[in-house]
Amino acid sequence: MSALPEGFEPLEPFVDGWALGSADERMRQRLASAASEREAFFNAGKDLVPAALALLDKKSFDEHDPKEERLMLLMLSMAHVAQAVEIQQDDEPMHAHYARFITITRASADDNP
Amino acid sequence: MNDAVPGFEPVSKEDVAHLGTDPVPAGPYYEPAYFELEKAAIFRRTWMQVGHVCEIPEPGSFMVREFECADASILVTRVSDTEVRAFHNVCTHRGTILVEESAGTRSRFSCPYHKWTFANSGELLSAPDFDKFYVDKADCGLAEVAVDICAGLVFINLDPSPEQGLREFLGPIAQKLEGTPMARATAFSEYVYEVQANWKLTYDNFQENYHLRFLHPRSGEMANGPDNPFGYPERYEFFDPHRTQTIWSNPQAQPKPFQLMAFMKVAEFAMRDELDMVTRDYYGVFPNLFVLGTATTHFSQWIMPIAADRTRSVVRLYWIGEDDCASRRFAREFSLATALDIHSEDRAVIEAGHRGLASGALRHIHFQSQEALCRHLFNEVDRRVQAYKAQQQSGGDVA
Repeated sequence: MSALPEGFEPLEPFVDGWALGSADERMRQRLASAASEREAFFNAGKDLVPAALALLDKKSFDEHDPKEERLMLLMLSMAHVAQAVEIQQDDEPMHAHYARFITITRASADDNP
Repeated sequence: MNDAVPGFEPVSKEDVAHLGTDPVPAGPYYEPAYFELEKAAIFRRTWMQVGHVCEIPEPGSFMVREFECADASILVTRVSDTEVRAFHNVCTHRGTILVEESAGTRSRFSCPYHKWTFANSGELLSAPDFDKFYVDKADCGLAEVAVDICAGLVFINLDPSPEQGLREFLGPIAQKLEGTPMARATAFSEYVYEVQANWKLTYDNFQENYHLRFLHPRSGEMANGPDNPFGYPERYEFFDPHRTQTIWSNPQAQPKPFQLMAFMKVAEFAMRDELDMVTRDYYGVFPNLFVLGTATTHFSQWIMPIAADRTRSVVRLYWIGEDDCASRRFAREFSLATALDIHSEDRAVIEAGHRGLASGALRHIHFQSQEALCRHLFNEVDRRVQAYKAQQQSGGDVA
């Protein structure tokens, strides 16, 4: 059974690794992942983002079903992984070395205290 | 500058020479004794940000903040829709820290030690077996701290009788801050990191663009260009202890495809929120806060001195309203990730700067004209430290 809404099958292999519940986890997955993992995820997802957001925008967050919730979390991980793949490129290992000292303590997407 | 071509006119050396041109002493950037003087001369007697009103949204909300730079723990409470109070987070019985949580909703606070219980307006409400004491309850209220609000930011002043009110202290900066998204914010994203370095070295890293092309070759690509290879600002202004710069924007910048798609989302919501899309100003608020006021990459950085060689940075991106749709949520996460990338790249040089200076190898450091904001911060800090020392030496009242 599919973990994501119809039309987003190319992202299925990335649900386990990248559908993460907090911004800090999403950033840490970016920092901990191999370049090949990041590139595979980014390349599979980059052109699907507009369609995914258009689909998810049709409902409020409360109305999202579990498949839509996973898709939302993947889109949020794309925001992190795009920095690494598209902008940092081969500087990413050096960047990741320093970024690990940062903790995201609050994010608008998260359930904050 | 010789290598600038028409299209960008950097601020001239002469324009900022009024701040001084001499080398700056190195000691204040690492010496523990100087840090102790800063505590007394600045941190215990200056308005400093303690948080944002959206952290205490309703009557009964409270927040606790540690001010290591003044050896203080501060409790801020919202008593009513219109009344915010601040206190030393210290039980008036025998000095125990009263509240351990960093935030919450509670209108009364009980000390864990002997259960003295205080209202969020500071009065001592009850204390077990109180008739055994030799004092009146009315004299046992929490020690109050001056508090005021500007642009949504809550400020405190640990001086029992501050020399200036907050508005007077902020001067023209107050109105500028009121125009930023922060002033209307109801939510924020935040990241925190500590560096092994003095607070002024940490602050200074974010007050000059001289380093930008070297430390941010990729993430800073959008902020420099052939007309302005260092990405220097268009303008500096000084308002007593505060300072501003107007960020130059590269008209020829070419965002990457995904970045462009995400920026368009960010801009769409900025316009929907009716943010000021033109202003590109940075506001340095003395002593330890700066705010980047642009509509699409706005953030504040709160530089908390912990020790002479330790500093905590708290970076916040303020939002107007909760996430109301997936696109807005995505745009906010992208802004968060973008800001974080820039910050992470500066860490190593800030720490290396402190290590080098703390070795005692140098008596002085040098600031060029495009590091004018760094020089201004040093001037304002040192003026207060020297005045405090002079007061002490003359036996004057410095409390």
